[in-house]
Amino acid sequence: MDPLVELAFQIGPFLLLLLVGYVSGTAIERGHYSDIRKREARTRSMPVISFRRPPASWQVSSASLVSGSTVVSIDYFKRFLAGLRGMTGGRITSYESLLDRARREAVLRMKEEAQGLGYDAVVNMRLETSRLASSNRKGQGTAGVEILAFGTAVKRGA
Amino acid sequence: MEWQPRDLPENNVTRVHPLKELATLVLGIALATVALTLVVAFTLDSVVRVLPPSWEARIFSGMWTDLERTDDPRAAAVGALLAELAAEWPGNPYEVRLFVMDSAEPNAFALPGGAVGVTRGLLDAVGSENELAFVLGHELGHFSGRHHLRGISRSLSVALVLGAATGGSSGTLLTQWVSEVTQLGFARDHEREADRFGLELVARRYGHIAGAMNFFEKLPGDAGGPTGRMGAWLATHPGSPRRIADLRALARAHGWPADGELTALDPGFAPR
Repeated sequence: MDPLVELAFQIGPFLLLLLVGYVSGTAIERGHYSDIRKREARTRSMPVISFRRPPASWQVSSASLVSGSTVVSIDYFKRFLAGLRGMTGGRITSYESLLDRARREAVLRMKEEAQGLGYDAVVNMRLETSRLASSNRKGQGTAGVEILAFGTAVKRGA
Repeated sequence: MEWQPRDLPENNVTRVHPLKELATLVLGIALATVALTLVVAFTLDSVVRVLPPSWEARIFSGMWTDLERTDDPRAAAVGALLAELAAEWPGNPYEVRLFVMDSAEPNAFALPGGAVGVTRGLLDAVGSENELAFVLGHELGHFSGRHHLRGISRSLSVALVLGAATGGSSGTLLTQWVSEVTQLGFARDHEREADRFGLELVARRYGHIAGAMNFFEKLPGDAGGPTGRMGAWLATHPGSPRRIADLRALARAHGWPADGELTALDPGFAPR
């Protein structure tokens, strides 16, 4: 077989996966960010703080645990870029936007839950990340990441 | 303390276009791999050139017994021609041996350590002693250039660099393709070197180069070989028209006449 055709067969599927990953990943990301920013504007007025106790002046009347979580998957294109970074080192910029979105989405979901239940603020907010093991090759690689944001929603009395 | 609502500063993401990042990484890694391969190859190459031919013969002579040889009545005549040609190579450190292979396809090759193999098919196909002399001279050229050891050292250096770059894993298609292309370039250079050496031996023996390159027309599958510029580039041997042109240019540069009387083959070559 013509060596050029053979080369095309070897590289073709890989390039196609890259292209699909890039196109779909970029589209999804853009859509998600615009959605995130809208919802952040809506929930802007609700305080979320990381102090363990609410300020004494708040006079909390009721409290409840609230949480929000997101699971995101890594598209082929981002994964390939991260693999190259694995050789050279440096910031994995392809993962930065992914995790940024996931984190903000998790916090938003937590705030929306708190708002839905009628609370005024969330204190002692914490973030947790866990990696979803992939089912290939001894569980190496990542199928995705889950980000969990949880805290204590409080209602201010008086 | 008052709490103030504020918009997020959005400073957790590096602002770089993903495609630009991809291009930078891919090109950077490709160039680094090529550069590193060349450096390692050059170093190993220098070491290998110093290896004595007697060691080479001792290491590789085991290979020779695996060949399907045949007793051909023409072997003596060809062996004598080979010895005379080797005598034209001043300072030849090899003990050169001839084997005749049992194959109907015209072919010739050099095995590391000093063995030259020609097929029955080749002996049937040659038309003049000049043609045969060029083929034998080309194979001697591989010894003179230490091509076998250099080829091994090159493959080794590429394997080393790839292994280092990918941390021992199978590596991406990209690094594999880059290394293949680099290696093929070296193989083509070896063939060209051997061609030139062979032609020089022929010119010294006969005083002209007439008939020497007739063999190129007899190589199987060359007329319909890989088509297109990329195909010819990716093939191990440079295409025959380019080899012929290269050799004619060399002859002109040295002033070797292109015409002359062809020496007939030894009577032992009469078709059976």
